Amino acid sequence: MKKRESLRKSVWTIISLVTLFLIWYLGSRNEELGRLMPDPVEVLKFIAAGFVAPIGKKLLWEHILWSLSRVLIGYVLACIVGILLGFAASWFKVGEAVIRPFYLLLRSIPSLAWIPLAILWFGIGEKSKYFIIFITAVMIIMTNVMDGVKAVSPELLGVARMLGTKEKQLFVRVVLPCAVPQIFNGLQVAVGSAWAAVLAAEMVRSSEGVGWIILAGQSSMNMVQIFAGIVVIGMIGLLLALLIRAAERRLCAWNVRGK
Amino acid sequence: MSSMIEVKNVRKLFVNEEGEKNEVLKNVSFHVDKNEFVVIFGPGQCGKTTLLNIIAGLEEATDGEVLKMGETVSGPGPDRAVVFQDILLFPWLTVMQNVEYSMKVRGMDSRMRREEAGKYIDLVGLNGFEKAYPVQISGGMKQRVGIARAYCTKPDVMLMDEPFGALDAQTRYLMQDEVIRISSTEKRTVVFVTNNVEEAIYLADRIIIMTDCPSTVLKDIKIDLPRPRSYVDPEFLSLRKEISAMLNRKR
Amino acid sequence: MRKKEFKYYLISIGTIILFLVVWYLLSDVFQVFRKGMLPGPVKVARSFVEKLSTKTPDGNTLFGHIGASLKVVLIGYIIGVAAGIPSGVLMAWYQPVDDMVRPVFDFLRTIPGVAWIPVVTVWLGIGLKAKAAIIFVNVFVGTVVNIYSGIKQTNEVQIWVAQIFGAGRLEILFKVALPSSLPYLFTGLKVSLSMAWLGIVAAELLASQSGLGYMIQVARSLGRPDLVIVGMLTIGLIGAFLTMALEMAERVFVKGNRK
Repeated sequence: MKKRESLRKSVWTIISLVTLFLIWYLGSRNEELGRLMPDPVEVLKFIAAGFVAPIGKKLLWEHILWSLSRVLIGYVLACIVGILLGFAASWFKVGEAVIRPFYLLLRSIPSLAWIPLAILWFGIGEKSKYFIIFITAVMIIMTNVMDGVKAVSPELLGVARMLGTKEKQLFVRVVLPCAVPQIFNGLQVAVGSAWAAVLAAEMVRSSEGVGWIILAGQSSMNMVQIFAGIVVIGMIGLLLALLIRAAERRLCAWNVRGK
Repeated sequence: MSSMIEVKNVRKLFVNEEGEKNEVLKNVSFHVDKNEFVVIFGPGQCGKTTLLNIIAGLEEATDGEVLKMGETVSGPGPDRAVVFQDILLFPWLTVMQNVEYSMKVRGMDSRMRREEAGKYIDLVGLNGFEKAYPVQISGGMKQRVGIARAYCTKPDVMLMDEPFGALDAQTRYLMQDEVIRISSTEKRTVVFVTNNVEEAIYLADRIIIMTDCPSTVLKDIKIDLPRPRSYVDPEFLSLRKEISAMLNRKR
Repeated sequence: MRKKEFKYYLISIGTIILFLVVWYLLSDVFQVFRKGMLPGPVKVARSFVEKLSTKTPDGNTLFGHIGASLKVVLIGYIIGVAAGIPSGVLMAWYQPVDDMVRPVFDFLRTIPGVAWIPVVTVWLGIGLKAKAAIIFVNVFVGTVVNIYSGIKQTNEVQIWVAQIFGAGRLEILFKVALPSSLPYLFTGLKVSLSMAWLGIVAAELLASQSGLGYMIQVARSLGRPDLVIVGMLTIGLIGAFLTMALEMAERVFVKGNRK
């Protein structure tokens, strides 16, 4: 039964994506629409060609790697800082009192609004991009860590004490594992947002990366290049999300199995 | 010699956000001797769990105090293991890890605690499920894990809070026999809360009958029926009638 | 208990004051920061007051920019929600639509809103329409996702009960499924609102001649960090205010079936 359901789903997925492709293809044949929409075959050709001939100064996969490495550095930093700060601001009362006001203030500033300040502080090089990605991801991760810790049930803490857990052990033995699913949720949302942030950062100032590809496409009015960039961006966004989900399945087997 | 547990004039008052007061326990006093199986029985929703939590140290009494072997109880600890109504296993630990948890935090080495935990898993009949996570097993099995986990702390007292309340009737009977069997192999002091008369008579050496809100001790009855007991034994039935009548009169 | 909470309250206030003092000492008294990096709190406050009435350097007062940004956000937001709700309902309630559209939607969803900026710029220029379109994309996706999951989670028993009482499919949709999905809808509205606010900042940073995003971008290029910070704080405050307004609406409309 389940197998048939998933087979039906995949058949429909193929039908639906093929239909999209056909509509896009036929639409781009039309003269009026053709000016707005590039031929999808051209777009795919452009992507394929990008692997052998450079777009701008670099090959397509080099652009991708540039963007990914920026995301990776900012994201990893954000994970470390976000998880530590999140725990500090939720498990420790004093930490909460100190950190929370700043958290509330910074939380309501959209991450991309940091771009100008980041450029003033760190220049237009790599550092300002790491900073934007960091700020984007760190707020999301912190929020989720804090929610995760706040959701630890007092009953479960009571059980742990009853079983002889010392106050010092409580964090590692109960709070941490309890908060892990929520933290993973945060990591997943953050990776998506970090990916969006690197695009924005690259579009503001950059000479490589996928964000640069679409912006360069815009300034030369090259729709094929813009759409090629968008397709690549979508694919990589999807891949990143799948990666985190796979990691979660590994690390939180107890939680996923129940679903 | 002092009793294992001594509850002295315990009173509990809850005050909600609107400032309304709700007295759930009033002047509750009783004692529990070593290796005695005491059932706290009462019909209402009120007070019994709170009373058990106060003995466990999970909640504080508004007035009065609880002594364990002559010392005032001030917080939860492994000497008073609780089996909860809603079980409360650690969902991220396997059955084995849940059972051996208390020994792990005490710093016992892994080979010894495996062996010890294995013994209790055997005792509650969960062999073969050591590696399962709580979400993968049934309610009855979870409650067995809860019981094994409590025994593993080597408690002076076992506190059981309507442990079979959420189980179906069949499993419930099975678990009652199980508890009797286990406590005959592992002699321990047990305080068992229930709102089911039959369960109370079936299990208890002594029943402490509580009134409804605010709860207080109505009667303290010794149950001398020989074991194993039977639900259809005439003496059992007459005892049951007597307790029911007592409660009705009170109402 | 009360007394203890009061203590943490004091710690919070103390930290904020300490932060302001340190900021003041570092920037204004000891002048640790390079010029154009971080002005002191006094300077920022003064710029804020000035900006309320002066139109330099970016052609509008603070309120003028706020108005420009808000107008675009509201237009894009309302159209996005108005289109998103029926689309999400169609997908969730009619299996064939779900089968056909969901795969395409899931693919488009992985593309961050900012990636559409170049496309929209080429299509619609950099005026109000272009920015509203960016906001629309951001809002549409968030709304569809949430109303979709809201309707999908409708309690089956409730649907059965309605069927037993002879309700038609449409009636069930309007009387059971939609009301029970309200909390999800509001989550969607809130998420979309912050996405819209993020979108407007991105759009104005990259392609605009008005609005708060434009204001901080100009301030950045002129090396005026004080104005950048004023702009960021304003963006944050208005975002927080909008969210609060939605939360109040939620409290009025969603009764008894909070998530």
